[in-house]
Amino acid sequence: MKKNFHLFKTVILVLLASVCGNYNFAQISDVISSIKTGQAKEGQPINIIAELRSTANIAGILFAYKPFGESEFIKQEMLITANSASVLIPAENVKPPFIEYYFQIDMEDGASQTYPLGINEGTAPFQINVTTISGKDKEIIVLSPNSGEFLTPDDFLISISFIKAPDNVDIKATKVFLDGSDISSQALFAGDLIIFSGENFPGSISLGSKLIKIEVYDKNGNLYNTITRNFEVISKEIAQQIAARFAYSGDLRIEGRNEVYNNTSTGYGNFTANFNSTYSNWKANGYMYVTSEEKSYLQPVNRFSASFQSGDWLNIQVGDVYPRFPNLILDGKRVRGFSGGINLGFFNIQTGFGEVTRKVEGSIIQKYSADSAPLESNVIAIDRNKYGAPFASVNLATYTRNIFAIRPSFGTGENFQWGFSYLHGKDDPKSVEFGARPKENAVFGTDMKLALDDQNFLITGQAALSIVNNDISTGTLSDAQIDSVFGSGSFFDADPDIIKRIKNILGRFITVNQYIGPLNPGELSSLGAEGTVRLNYFNNTLKVTYIYRGNDYISFGQNFLRTDVQGINLFDRIRMFDNQVFLALGYEDLHDNLQKTKVATTKYKTYSASLSYFPRTDFPDLTFGYYRYDRNNGLNISDTVNGLYTVNDLTNRFSLSAGYRFNWRVRQSVSLSLSTSARDDNSLANADVTYSSAGLTVNSFWLSDFNSTFNVFYYASKIAGDEFDYVTFSLGGEYRLLQNKLKLAFSLSPSFGDFKRQALEFTASYNIIQNLDLMFQLRIYRIPGQSTNSIVGLVSSMAI
Amino acid sequence: MNSKVLLISGCFIAAVVFLGNAGIFTDYPDNLDGSPVALVKKIVKDVTYRTAVDKSDWEIAKTGQPLYDGGEVKTGIKSLALVLFTDGSGLLRVRENSILHIYGQTENKKLNKDAFLEKGLIGFDVTKQQQEEEFKLTTPTVVASIRGTAGFMSFDNQDSTTTIFLEHGEVDFKHTISGNSGKVTSGKSALIYSNGNISYDSISTTNKKIYKFTRTTSSKKIIIETKYGSFEINYYSE
Repeated sequence: MKKNFHLFKTVILVLLASVCGNYNFAQISDVISSIKTGQAKEGQPINIIAELRSTANIAGILFAYKPFGESEFIKQEMLITANSASVLIPAENVKPPFIEYYFQIDMEDGASQTYPLGINEGTAPFQINVTTISGKDKEIIVLSPNSGEFLTPDDFLISISFIKAPDNVDIKATKVFLDGSDISSQALFAGDLIIFSGENFPGSISLGSKLIKIEVYDKNGNLYNTITRNFEVISKEIAQQIAARFAYSGDLRIEGRNEVYNNTSTGYGNFTANFNSTYSNWKANGYMYVTSEEKSYLQPVNRFSASFQSGDWLNIQVGDVYPRFPNLILDGKRVRGFSGGINLGFFNIQTGFGEVTRKVEGSIIQKYSADSAPLESNVIAIDRNKYGAPFASVNLATYTRNIFAIRPSFGTGENFQWGFSYLHGKDDPKSVEFGARPKENAVFGTDMKLALDDQNFLITGQAALSIVNNDISTGTLSDAQIDSVFGSGSFFDADPDIIKRIKNILGRFITVNQYIGPLNPGELSSLGAEGTVRLNYFNNTLKVTYIYRGNDYISFGQNFLRTDVQGINLFDRIRMFDNQVFLALGYEDLHDNLQKTKVATTKYKTYSASLSYFPRTDFPDLTFGYYRYDRNNGLNISDTVNGLYTVNDLTNRFSLSAGYRFNWRVRQSVSLSLSTSARDDNSLANADVTYSSAGLTVNSFWLSDFNSTFNVFYYASKIAGDEFDYVTFSLGGEYRLLQNKLKLAFSLSPSFGDFKRQALEFTASYNIIQNLDLMFQLRIYRIPGQSTNSIVGLVSSMAI
Repeated sequence: MNSKVLLISGCFIAAVVFLGNAGIFTDYPDNLDGSPVALVKKIVKDVTYRTAVDKSDWEIAKTGQPLYDGGEVKTGIKSLALVLFTDGSGLLRVRENSILHIYGQTENKKLNKDAFLEKGLIGFDVTKQQQEEEFKLTTPTVVASIRGTAGFMSFDNQDSTTTIFLEHGEVDFKHTISGNSGKVTSGKSALIYSNGNISYDSISTTNKKIYKFTRTTSSKKIIIETKYGSFEINYYSE
């Protein structure tokens, strides 16, 4: 009867998938072939890896993500290594019920695309479901071992606590597997504790990497939760060395691969080295990535970094670093230089400086005499003696841009912290020959955090003022120039003495000339500010945020901030039924045109809601989401004067995702994702979009060394009248043999409909000796009637 | 017949007692009500325990030893015991020559913990406690309420002084005799005298050394080869 019920639910899930439609990872892209996100749990960082079809012609990839209920996408540069790009979503931004994300891919020729395609046209972004930790994961506590812990056979201890588990959990039915072997019968059950001590079984614990799997069952015999944990068993001698002296680990990886893309064959090579060490409270890490794709005419692809940390009070990073200051100032940007901080509690200081943009020299397109030079943005003065002409149109160079940021702060941040930030960024005018309009930027900011009642009542705020100079090539104005330009009857009717005083003050921070802005500081056009109040009471997490960003606000440390926007964002997450049901509600009301620089003011209203169910019975986890986005600037297309500027569209989006783990013949894991969205565009473009997708993935664990994956994905869209439908099936498996030394993985993914393609991937990795692995990788993408592209790679990696 | 029965019964009981003492049967007491509130995660050298039920003898503790409400752990010279509470919220490092009493009451899936240091030194790593959950560290003269913090606490039973040092976080404490109370914050220490006087100190080299010492949990081994065989001495090193 129970088996039939499992079968019934599985069939229902399959039918749902075939009727509706979406599995994000099978969307089409000519750059990204697949995305690996791992398991997303509240408060734990998520590593996102995008596998690339080819890295040829890619200048960079930005990862844009938005936790549910947040007002805007946060953008981070992805680290491109070999044929994948990766990024880490910080733990503090991993919040249930889901995170929306997309990729912005910038090509070397200046073109840009998003994945999924058409984000700016209304296509729904991808979604990662974030499961809450407050449910099952908090109920069953693995006291020992810790994840990644080193234990000697004498200290070997597995201990699981059920002190917080619900009453329907059958503790005695729990199964504990050590490297696949069931050791439950050897474990001691003591009240709410399960204990397995190596001391009771001398000689039975071998050295090496271990995996424990704990299967917890309810009183009806249904699988309630599964927990896995990795750790190492080491000899006492090695444990002494690790604890007493200098402990280190690392790995070296070398890869060669050949890509055939549109009948063009290209070879690539790269080398990666990782080094981690600890000594007492000190930690030192090093990283190096060197690739044949490094080109002097592009921004750097090679990466180097080293970091040192002593407890919580000192951290130093050099090389390619990503300093994190208040997000209005500097956050998520790669800096080649230095980042570090000293945290004493009552006083802390943090700094970061270095190069954010490498110089890339331009080139002459056409030379002009003084009389014939046209007035165009890329026509600049050149060295007449050197080039035989005074002007030329050029491919503009990129200046070396350096930034410096510092933030002293007071307080630990546990209950109170007040910080002050300063950032200075400047293009080096002498770094290139064919450049134009080098810029300079200064930002002054402050931020504060006040946490009361054990952080259940939290107030945070930040504000920053920016100044930018859009052309510092002429330098700071001299007093004589000010006297000639300003004054009664002059070009600018302002007191020259006041201008000189302003110059003397601001000139300490930035070049002062006629290109400095903002031009309207009184209107707070260069102010960025936000304040948040968060309350965590009565099973509610309520957050209210006010944001203000003037249209001239700019920080060279933060290129991805939305400006010219003001409004509020409300978000509430309600936990119900003993943390089994989560209801999240969001409302956002924003508008632009703060400094009246546009024809009309656009209002942005977003309503979002989600309902998640994480049952403690044998039933799938479910998350239902709704999103409504309304943009309107009050203009009408019939308006003969301003109708062209009409913004009037409404997007409705529904999503449903489900996950279910059960035993049917063997252990199965099923996930289903459905999404449908419709945008009604009443502007002149009339870019209506309807979009539906469905995806179903079934992972089956047939044997301890063999598992398979089946995925079906259906996609249907209609963008401005153009219909596009396709379906992709994917079948793959992983098989380990020769005592896990050889691992074979295979997948075949044919697509049918408007998008026709066959994708095949094969990977074989072999553990030659204990710390040396060799991996062969083959990917073939065939588009019938067009091309067959392939990637063949060989990777060797060695652990130290 | 009766004498045979008595003889066999006597042999059986003697065998059970012998095997029981030899550790052939379950090593852990099963005659206690409720569930363990803590367990011993790691042992170096001489660590013994006793239960609230049987206060007569100290028994040798093993890795994984469950500790019930009222249980005690005692460490000898150069010895160490790591004690974990069963809600995963706290790790205590019981240093040499210390006696620690473990108390815990479960209420609505929440464990209120009290670690009573009779004498000696303990290092602690305590995670943030849930609402309505309590973690107390006490000595014969001081009660300290812990939320999320790391540091050490010592009690000198010669002059009845208590020292609290915090690496991070903060702790409220009270002298139980005088009623004097105070607070220790990150990087500070407090010395609470027997008369209730309190002396605060910023990070001192001595306290930093002691704190570092409390965090070190590795042991060393000496093997002495003699003509009668080899001796292995496992000890904790400063």
